[in-house]
Amino acid sequence: MTTTETVTRFKKLPKVTQYYKNEDQFTPGVAFCSGCTLEHNVRFVSRVLGKDAIFVGTPSCSAPVLNGANDGAWHRHAHYACTMTGVASSATGLRRAFLKAGKDATIVCFTGDGCAMDVGFQPLSGAAERNEKIIYICYDNEGYMNTGIQRSSGTPLGASTSTTQVGSTGQGKSTGSKNMPMVMAMHDIPFVATATLSHLDDYAKKLDKAREFCKEGFVYLHVFTPCNVGWKTPTDASIEVCRAAVKTNYFPLWEADHGRFRMTYKTKKPHPVEDLTSLLGKFKHLDGAQLAALQAQVDKRFHVLQSLCAGFTEGE
Amino acid sequence: MDALKQPRPETRVITGNAAAAYAVRLCRPDVVSLYPITPQSEVIETLERFHANGTLDAEMVQVEGENSAQNVVCGASMAGARVFTATSSYGLVFMYDAILQTAGYRAPVVMVNVNREPPGIHAVCSGQQDMIATRDSGWIQVIAESVQEILDLVIMAYRLAEDREVLLPIMVNYDGFYLSFLAESVEIPEQEAVDRFLAPLNDQPPRPVLEPGSSKGCGAHGLGAGYVELRRKHMAALDRARGKFDEVDALFGADFGRSYGGQIDCYRTDDAEIILVTSGSAVGTARTVIDAKRAAGVKVGLVKIRMFRPFPIEVLTKALQGRKAIGVLDRSIAFGWDCGPMYQEIRALTPEIGTVPLLSFIDGLANMDITKPHIERVVDDIQRAALGHDYQSVTWIASGE
Ligand SMILES: Cc1ncc(C[n+]2csc(CCOP(=O)(O)OP(=O)(O)O)c2C)c(N)n1
Ligand code: SF4
Repeated sequence: MTTTETVTRFKKLPKVTQYYKNEDQFTPGVAFCSGCTLEHNVRFVSRVLGKDAIFVGTPSCSAPVLNGANDGAWHRHAHYACTMTGVASSATGLRRAFLKAGKDATIVCFTGDGCAMDVGFQPLSGAAERNEKIIYICYDNEGYMNTGIQRSSGTPLGASTSTTQVGSTGQGKSTGSKNMPMVMAMHDIPFVATATLSHLDDYAKKLDKAREFCKEGFVYLHVFTPCNVGWKTPTDASIEVCRAAVKTNYFPLWEADHGRFRMTYKTKKPHPVEDLTSLLGKFKHLDGAQLAALQAQVDKRFHVLQSLCAGFTEGE
Repeated sequence: MDALKQPRPETRVITGNAAAAYAVRLCRPDVVSLYPITPQSEVIETLERFHANGTLDAEMVQVEGENSAQNVVCGASMAGARVFTATSSYGLVFMYDAILQTAGYRAPVVMVNVNREPPGIHAVCSGQQDMIATRDSGWIQVIAESVQEILDLVIMAYRLAEDREVLLPIMVNYDGFYLSFLAESVEIPEQEAVDRFLAPLNDQPPRPVLEPGSSKGCGAHGLGAGYVELRRKHMAALDRARGKFDEVDALFGADFGRSYGGQIDCYRTDDAEIILVTSGSAVGTARTVIDAKRAAGVKVGLVKIRMFRPFPIEVLTKALQGRKAIGVLDRSIAFGWDCGPMYQEIRALTPEIGTVPLLSFIDGLANMDITKPHIERVVDDIQRAALGHDYQSVTWIASGE
């Protein structure tokens, strides 16, 4: 699409732009693969949270952009780059220093699932338990992408990665992913939510809440962020993948506002999980049994979520 | 805030750990991170008590592990805060990646490390191996000998770390058990005096810090030439830290009446023919032995290493030149070299010092007391080597050699 076409097409700006606080703080030409939803994600977060947000990031696919080493392409946010093990703790230090100095600051940790769910998990859990006044956004691309598509505890059951390979004996990852947003919800923090890039209004509302609630305590957002290189999908399929993840209940959209669980998008008739897996090369080897196991896990997790939500709707 | 008013200068009998905590409070940190480990826990517990009683106005972060303890203070420091944390042994090495980062970011973090052996869960005992394991991290490392020196050294540490010519993290070390739990009579300075001592830092140009709304970043070390330049600047800052430490020590002396010699302290070395070099709590015992040996006619002197990183190259060279033999007593091991680490580094000064018998003694590992007889024997060995007898270059006193 040419620029003129874009302008004509968006004569009326999309509704989601009402949430934008500022111009895009990122220059063009940032170092993501084409079609990567990570770029979409980070630009969106920046626009909705506003340019005063301070990013805390790590070695990952987002590092070249967030933390430098991306010559020529850049952003205008204050940022703090640290080790994969030190994200939530570094953010704690920044926030406490600003608090002591009486300065307002929105600190946003922005890391992959490998950092959040594995090597950076302990500090994340600790910061949540201390109810630090920070926002932690985990962009979940279901693996260690920057190092070459290895397994993380965000990698789903059956997925093929470079450390869970498919061969004559290997059948992809033998265990399911960690149900991370639920794990974080059990930390009893002011706000936990899931989001993805096919449902931007929903994401924007959650970011708005995040900005407010982080004045009070810890906020965790878990954002389904497809990686077309690692998941082996065409570069123009990423948003379709996000939508399929929501429609299959593989990645339901919900929030827990002070422990009150609520679905923020209701899928009337959930599609079978195959509608998602068939789009992704990383699942193409799945046999009937593996597919059934994945479907069973999706159903079980959704059931748990529903009962948590039901607990709050009944009385209303 | 009335609560922040410190008691009048007073003399109290307190432990080494408490002395560290009193000193930290006097320096008014903004952010403190806390995680327990023996023999350090008393430091952070004492600070928490001060905070709970309203006499320490700091953000207290009760982290879930030492790795976070270090990242918290590094982050806070980069946002402009004065910070403190304390650790020991496994705690120190659990924060190792963060330690390297803090140094690389030139964050003026002040940390107490109460020296303890690292391997084995029962190695809850003194030894300097933890400090040695981090000697190449780019931090400043200093070592205290007594409870009073712990208190004074922590205050000096802030003045040194935050100096705009230095801007480096500093690790204040003291022997676990021997000093951490030793109660001695200590003079606690007045708050106003410490405020005055640290005030010149405020007159220096502000250090670069992270601010909301600015497009400043922290931690992109760059590649190639940019990285190398930062490394050289870091090295240069470490180099400057030597002289600055001497200066800070002298200024402290002028304000508080106590100074310790700067990078090293020389005891009865003027006309000494042989020298014993050591550090930490062993120094006190060594002084007693030196006095006795002197009385018996042995021309022996003692050099105490106070600053281990940067290594006191010039002052040590001067102190060790022209002697007949030198012995170095270490409380840790240089793996791969079969000698003590301080010995190893002094041996690297051979071209400057000249070739004389240089003896390594390893003692005091794992809470094994470095006793007077041990040190007498060390001095005897050095003396015999000076007289031209054969000598053993490395002696493990700790294993009964
Ligand atoms: C402590 C540590 N271990 C390993 C690495 C190597 N490493 C660099 S990026 C990366 C992958 C990060 O994965 P994730 O957080 O999911 O982000 P993504 O790459 O998927 O964007 C790893 C393992 C590192 N930088 N630090
Ligand atoms: S590897 Fe995947 S997550 Fe990383 S930039 Fe490329 S598409 Fe995005």
